[in-house]
Amino acid sequence: MSYNKIIITGAVIAIIISILAPFLASSNPDGLDKNLIELVGSGNPEQAEEIIGERVPIEYEAPMADYSIEGMGKLGEVGAIIIGTLLVLVISLGIGKIVEKKQGT
Amino acid sequence: MHIGDGLIPLSQAVIYWLIALAFIIKSLNWAGKEMDEMKVPMLAALAAGIFAIQAMNIPIPWGTSGHMVGAALAAIILGSPYAAVLLLTLVLVVQGFLFGDGGVTTMGANIVNMGVVGGFVGFYSYNALKNSIGMVSASFAAGWLSIFIAALVCAVEMYFAGTFPLVAGLMFMGLYHAVIGVVGEGLITAIAFKSIMLARPDIVSEKSMARVAA
Repeated sequence: MSYNKIIITGAVIAIIISILAPFLASSNPDGLDKNLIELVGSGNPEQAEEIIGERVPIEYEAPMADYSIEGMGKLGEVGAIIIGTLLVLVISLGIGKIVEKKQGT
Repeated sequence: MHIGDGLIPLSQAVIYWLIALAFIIKSLNWAGKEMDEMKVPMLAALAAGIFAIQAMNIPIPWGTSGHMVGAALAAIILGSPYAAVLLLTLVLVVQGFLFGDGGVTTMGANIVNMGVVGGFVGFYSYNALKNSIGMVSASFAAGWLSIFIAALVCAVEMYFAGTFPLVAGLMFMGLYHAVIGVVGEGLITAIAFKSIMLARPDIVSEKSMARVAA
């Protein structure tokens, strides 16, 4: 069935990327963070973090911050990204199911 | 270009959230009307793939890195900029709440930049170019332009927020994302688009097909 085939193909590709990402991804700051370091922190990452930290209006603690699971190292990073990938897959399929049901009635 | 909490004051962050919500509602309307049994699995597969590839930062010069956004690809394959809004919203909600990638107060701004700006720029630039330079080249250009323009919009928001000076912000956000856009967005968009066209041309939205000269 092609419906399932599309999902499985997408999921397999996504999980392969999820497994590789922690090993291949660059740990350099991204474009926005680089600007924060240069323009806000005058070249100093800690200074940038401190200035921005004081401006945070609502503190929110993400359970798997920075795509990692505490104390699990690289394996935790792989696990975190796979959890995120599968969650995105499940939520979007859920929305699809709701839409299909509504269209059916 | 995920904006974290603290980079935009709450009063402004609320405005971006409201703009984002207006587009999210429109994207749900799009889903209700346009999503069929082929677009549902395609959206899910693309969303999963784009979430994963966003975790893969590619190094660029100046000790910087960047990753694909995926809005152009989603809009082209699914035939609507609202598809990109819906997909990027899902990705950004999971990233923000679970992984602290992008803030919670600033999630609206991130949805506006990557979903709305990325999706609309990607979709309309692709459609403007597909007949003249071909579908694959157009997908490359749309990918590049979508991340570049989104980065400039992000720089302007950072200026309004009092976080970046305007000119330096535009210059460096533009420069970094112009480079990231070539491999990180343009090339991956073109490869993914070509692969999907080869494997299943029937699931690429008809709206995204180039006119074939008679």
